[in-house]
Amino acid sequence: NFLSLSLQAKMSRPVQAQRLEGIDKNIWVEFVKLAATYSTVNLGQGFPDFPPPDFLTEAAARALGGENHMLHQYTRAFGHPPLVKVLAQFFSKLLGRDLDPMTNVMVTVGAYQALFCCFQAFVDEGDEVIIIEPFFDCYEPMVKMAGGLPVFVPLRPQAPKDGKLMSSADWQLDPAELASKFSEQTKAIVLNSPNNPLGKVFSRGELQLIADLCVKHDVLCISDEVYEWLVYDGKEHIRIASLRGMWDRTVIIGSAGKTFSVTGWKVGWTVGPNRLLQHLRTVHQNSVYHCATVAQDAVAQGFQRELELYGKPESYFIQFPKELQQKRDWLVQSLDAVGMKPIVPEGTYFLVADISEFKSDVPDVPDSDEPYDSRFAKWMVKNKGLATIPLSSFFCGAHKNNYSHFIRFCFAKEEATLKAASDILQKWKQEKTGP
Amino acid sequence: MLFASRSFCCLGIRPSQLGTDLLSRSRKLSASATMAFRHKNTRRIEGLDSNIWVEFTKMAADPSIVNLGQGLPDISPPSYVKEELAKAAAVDRLNQYTRGFGHPSLVKALSQVYERVCGRKIDPLTDILVTVGAYGSLFSTIQALIEEGDEVIIIEPFYDCYEPMVRMAGAKPVFIPLRYKNGGNSVSSSDWVLDPAELANKFNSKTKAIILNTPHNPIGKVFTREELQVIADLCIKHDTLCISDEVYEWLVYKGHKHIKIATLPGMWERTVTIGSAGKTYSVTGWKLGWSIGPQNLIKHLQVVHQNTLYTCPTPLQEALAQAFWIDYKRMDDPDCYFYSLSRELESKRDRMAQLLQGAGLQPVIPDGGYFMIVDVSTLNVDLSDVDEKQPYDYKFVKWMITSKKLSAIPLSAFCGPETKRQFEKYIRFCFIKKDSTLDAADVILKNWNKQTA
Repeated sequence: NFLSLSLQAKMSRPVQAQRLEGIDKNIWVEFVKLAATYSTVNLGQGFPDFPPPDFLTEAAARALGGENHMLHQYTRAFGHPPLVKVLAQFFSKLLGRDLDPMTNVMVTVGAYQALFCCFQAFVDEGDEVIIIEPFFDCYEPMVKMAGGLPVFVPLRPQAPKDGKLMSSADWQLDPAELASKFSEQTKAIVLNSPNNPLGKVFSRGELQLIADLCVKHDVLCISDEVYEWLVYDGKEHIRIASLRGMWDRTVIIGSAGKTFSVTGWKVGWTVGPNRLLQHLRTVHQNSVYHCATVAQDAVAQGFQRELELYGKPESYFIQFPKELQQKRDWLVQSLDAVGMKPIVPEGTYFLVADISEFKSDVPDVPDSDEPYDSRFAKWMVKNKGLATIPLSSFFCGAHKNNYSHFIRFCFAKEEATLKAASDILQKWKQEKTGP
Repeated sequence: MLFASRSFCCLGIRPSQLGTDLLSRSRKLSASATMAFRHKNTRRIEGLDSNIWVEFTKMAADPSIVNLGQGLPDISPPSYVKEELAKAAAVDRLNQYTRGFGHPSLVKALSQVYERVCGRKIDPLTDILVTVGAYGSLFSTIQALIEEGDEVIIIEPFYDCYEPMVRMAGAKPVFIPLRYKNGGNSVSSSDWVLDPAELANKFNSKTKAIILNTPHNPIGKVFTREELQVIADLCIKHDTLCISDEVYEWLVYKGHKHIKIATLPGMWERTVTIGSAGKTYSVTGWKLGWSIGPQNLIKHLQVVHQNTLYTCPTPLQEALAQAFWIDYKRMDDPDCYFYSLSRELESKRDRMAQLLQGAGLQPVIPDGGYFMIVDVSTLNVDLSDVDEKQPYDYKFVKWMITSKKLSAIPLSAFCGPETKRQFEKYIRFCFIKKDSTLDAADVILKNWNKQTA
């Protein structure tokens, strides 16, 4: 009868919604497990293995030790007032613009949730979103989940100057190629500067190129700037929202996890014009609604301190990149010394290196589904105890084999960790060159 | 603009400069016209921008107002819960990312507690997802399992987010109201019931899920085994999922028992059960919740989670795990917080009821939860001169906030469009408040008639 037919039809359909199609795989689930099982030295997933700054943990302790037990209850949904106020002050300064904490700032559960809100708020079925490769892996599935079509444009390596190590600056967009990706369907472009995994810090000229196209084609810019403070060699992080015509069409995304070395606190934010943020608020109030209170309170205090010390040598935003630059240089040297060719990053705490000289240990498997670098990284963590992430993780399916011999290292690690990594590599090299 | 410059020409005004100005301005105008179109919100959030809480929490934020509106305790969480967070905050590695689907020690603790409650094995890694509050669990469940073409049954009155979340997933909410069945002198939440025939009528081949909330917000109803069986039978007959929001599961008063629909035969495989740290431990600001169910459903929630926020905060999860261990070990002991909070709240419930009865009102005594609804039409407050477009209860609450300095939440916020008239004479009070707050409410209610007279 009719009832049992329709019941059968229902039971034969998958239980899950179609929006989950093609987005169930996740690189981190696999590689985090491998690192947990095999690694003695973990330079894989991007988190510091040293403590956050004292002033921040002290702020958290003060909040928790105080009399105010209401910090354990809901705060304002779009952001704890002390936090949005100081973020508005800070970014007003950085952008040269008067920001309203209530309408130009929204707090999220990490930058990850900020990205989610942007895609859900602005990407409709059939909208195209330009993603620059290599990219932080979540952009693609988030665009797909929103029914959008990701359109990829690669950064291409140019040959470095004679005798020099390759720099992340040598990876560049081809202007004509980029322009060709913009169409009537293009709703947004995702910019990540400083870029994970390469460490590229987009120059003013490069940002202007992107901005001109955004303005010409009336496209939104989702600007993932979580590594904004981690720039080296005196380079400047330029905010695309400060370029002409861009404030009105840009959502800036930031992260306390990366700013203050507290990835586990999951506090992020969006900054932008009210007419864009109002839609992020709608997504937010219909998905998580509130973010946890105490961490927001502590981060607010952290920003207050940095506001007061802005530009001064004691500022964490000045000290921390200095420390990381040293670690970067140390890792660059270690890798270069053993024959892994590092691409010197201008920013972030990631570094990509060419492992071609170590390929002999991991033979090619013709017709393998898995990209070479992924097999290499897995072999290395199992046999050498050193965890890294294959660069193919940061490319779309069709392009995973374009760069088959690069792996990503995270250098936000204690000296001892970096030294241990170097020891593993040195020993490995010695084994290869023989007695 | 060419037309305009010609007319200016006729008036003897040199058009060139003006023309350029008009031209550039109209270019800007057409550019912004295109900009206005492009930067529109997506279809999925169309019409979902308004939110009762944004409006009413702002109004009640004034410290001179006695706030019995939003469901937020002003009593302190238990000291050991606060201590565990302070301890966790001092451990370095807990400041960094943990496992995406839930911190290992927390999912382990949850599996132990709920294995005991449900009487079945629960795998911490595959049968549980930790989310940002129960709110996040509702979102993950709906995004994972509901889509365009689906219908979802929602029982009215309902916690307000169910409807927009179902709409955001592209599905159609189908409402069915709880109806008051006259049971005698005192009015209890158990007098509010579903009509079984009416309920059965709401199910069809498109019905993907029903959302159940027990103990119920706002009425405080604790669904009986028989009532749950009616729902279960229909779910099985129509192969429908059940999204069971049980955030108030521990807050059940004397004479009543919280029953998990997932424990009824045939229901485990089709039910996602949602819980909340905020409601369990009086820490709404921790925003931790969880979804528990069979792997074949939870795995899809995990996919949503890994594509929305990936992982929940670490220190809070660790602290919650430790708090759960403390209470798990004393689940046979009446001092277990799961039971002691309930006892504390029962006396607050009784006090709240007395205060309202003293003001001549007849509240609906809840069997569970920490809310109480009351019909205020008997006070005969004339608000006909106020903006008519709002339901009576919205106008009443706003009037009560400004003139009586007491806040509550209007019940029509918790209804679909058809039943707003039915529920607009009710308002909801939250009684998980410290004695001094209830004392202040007492004063206001005692003076109520004096002021209006």
